[in-house]
Amino acid sequence: MATAAKTPEGSSRAGSLSNARLRESLVGYAFILLPMTVFAVWFIYPLGYAIYISFYDWGVLGKISSVGTRNYHDLFHDPLFGKALKNTLLYTAVVVPAQMTLGLIMALVVNAGIKGKTFFRAAFYFPSLASSAAITAIAIFILNADGLLNKIIGGHRPWFGDARTALWSIMGLNAWTTSGTVMLFYLAALQSIPTDVYEAAAVDGTSRSRTFWKITFPLLKPGHFFVAVVSIIGCLKIFDQAFIVSNGTGGPNYSTMTAVLYLYRTAFYQVKFGYAAAMGVLLFLIIFGFTLAQKILFGKAEVAG
Amino acid sequence: VTTAAEPFVPPRTVQERSRRVFIYALLLGISALYFVPFLWSVSTSFKTLPDTAYFSLLPHHWVTTGYHDVLTKYDFKRYMLNSAFLAAVITASNVFLAGLGGYAFARLRFPGREVLFLLVLGTLMIPDQLRLVPVFITLTNWHLVSSFKGYILIKLIEATNLFFMRQYFLTIPKDFEEAAKLDGAGYFKTFWRVMLPLAGPAIAAVVILEFQGIWNDFFWPAIILGFGNPHLYTVQLGITQFIFQYGTLWPQLMAASVIAILPVAIVFVLFQRYFIAGVVASGVKG
Repeated sequence: MATAAKTPEGSSRAGSLSNARLRESLVGYAFILLPMTVFAVWFIYPLGYAIYISFYDWGVLGKISSVGTRNYHDLFHDPLFGKALKNTLLYTAVVVPAQMTLGLIMALVVNAGIKGKTFFRAAFYFPSLASSAAITAIAIFILNADGLLNKIIGGHRPWFGDARTALWSIMGLNAWTTSGTVMLFYLAALQSIPTDVYEAAAVDGTSRSRTFWKITFPLLKPGHFFVAVVSIIGCLKIFDQAFIVSNGTGGPNYSTMTAVLYLYRTAFYQVKFGYAAAMGVLLFLIIFGFTLAQKILFGKAEVAG
Repeated sequence: VTTAAEPFVPPRTVQERSRRVFIYALLLGISALYFVPFLWSVSTSFKTLPDTAYFSLLPHHWVTTGYHDVLTKYDFKRYMLNSAFLAAVITASNVFLAGLGGYAFARLRFPGREVLFLLVLGTLMIPDQLRLVPVFITLTNWHLVSSFKGYILIKLIEATNLFFMRQYFLTIPKDFEEAAKLDGAGYFKTFWRVMLPLAGPAIAAVVILEFQGIWNDFFWPAIILGFGNPHLYTVQLGITQFIFQYGTLWPQLMAASVIAILPVAIVFVLFQRYFIAGVVASGVKG
């Protein structure tokens, strides 16, 4: 088959070499043809298509009429979208610091020379891997009016059913679920701190808490930034838990209506695809901004610094 | 943090002891936070419904009604088969296509390779939320909504897997391919018989992470499979519908949750290092 490629380099004539090159190129294109088709059809084309759709009034049977930028204009005057965006930003502002704090504490404890380090690292990470639907089901059970939490604290609040606590309960749930991943990032970052820094501190007789706040914490700075950006992007996409605890409604009283849930409802319950697409484009721009910030801040730099 | 420095710390035994007590107390607290919810749900899955009203970790009477009901009465046997089928097909296609593409981008020279590879990485920047409407409309036009085909088609290959395979192929010495060439093997044969078998660890990681990702997926199944025939539901959609319809049948709901979590838990226990290496790699490489 590959007789041309068999010719040892150098001794071949220019003609057969370029033949081999041509062959290699064609094989290369053939190998990437299917993957590139998938990326083109389901990623790159949809990017342009979403922008196109966002300039139309688009229903279940397709295009209804061109509306220019009205969908975007409406977004900024839609109180429910405002509420969804506010919920999402509040959610992000609470969950990001919460999971970072929890994740860092867990990393420090797991890394403190305890017995069974591998076991605890795995156990704390596990909720990040379990399905969001099952984890949410467990949370609904534990947080219901007669659930375990209320039995422990002696209350009767339906945590997901009360507009004052529903979003906060999702925050708690997700900070709990995802802090295991944050712990792994921090553990990797901790490994990269050279031990001689600690040796110097120990020789100087620096106390442990001082060593942490003056040495470890600042040296983790690249890790903090990385974890923060990844967490922010993840939080802005919050959907599964809000959808499941509210039966897809974003209730009670829109307290669990998130931006992506509103997008989903606009598309599938109201069948306003153009408006939903505009929402998707806006969300993309926000998320893209954070991704870009991450790339600029880190470039090719590693968490490890 | 400071274990590495242990030998250099001057003897401070009282401080050291109180530090260890503090660390283990913290560990106990965190463990309770992480273990109790799972233990509580497993225990509930073996309780009778009246039994769930009591504040006791162990069931008074161990029953398997919860499991029996969800598997037969509430059709979770079918949902499990659906999830397993989709995860198997999509994982196989990801291994093959990510291997093929990853090999081409790592080893074959062709004009535009770098630009095309950047394009592949660029797809990682396009969030599912933006793709939702256009992908749904395209699938509708092609009559692929409410069909496994539609879901499989959009998941045939994910850029992270291709990237992962490419990175691994770059670490394999070229001697192997050159030997294969001398034996007269063509490009595909070299890839299939020589390079792919050498990429065992990378394939294992792709298999494990992709299987877990598809088994757990909620967003796309909800959109593509969630509006039609319940026979198409995955386990995750089954749980959601169960919550919506039968809310407080706790033993059944917890049994369904255990069923949804168990396969991933088993894979995790067996192949822990692949998961952790995967996260750390994504962290380190951004």
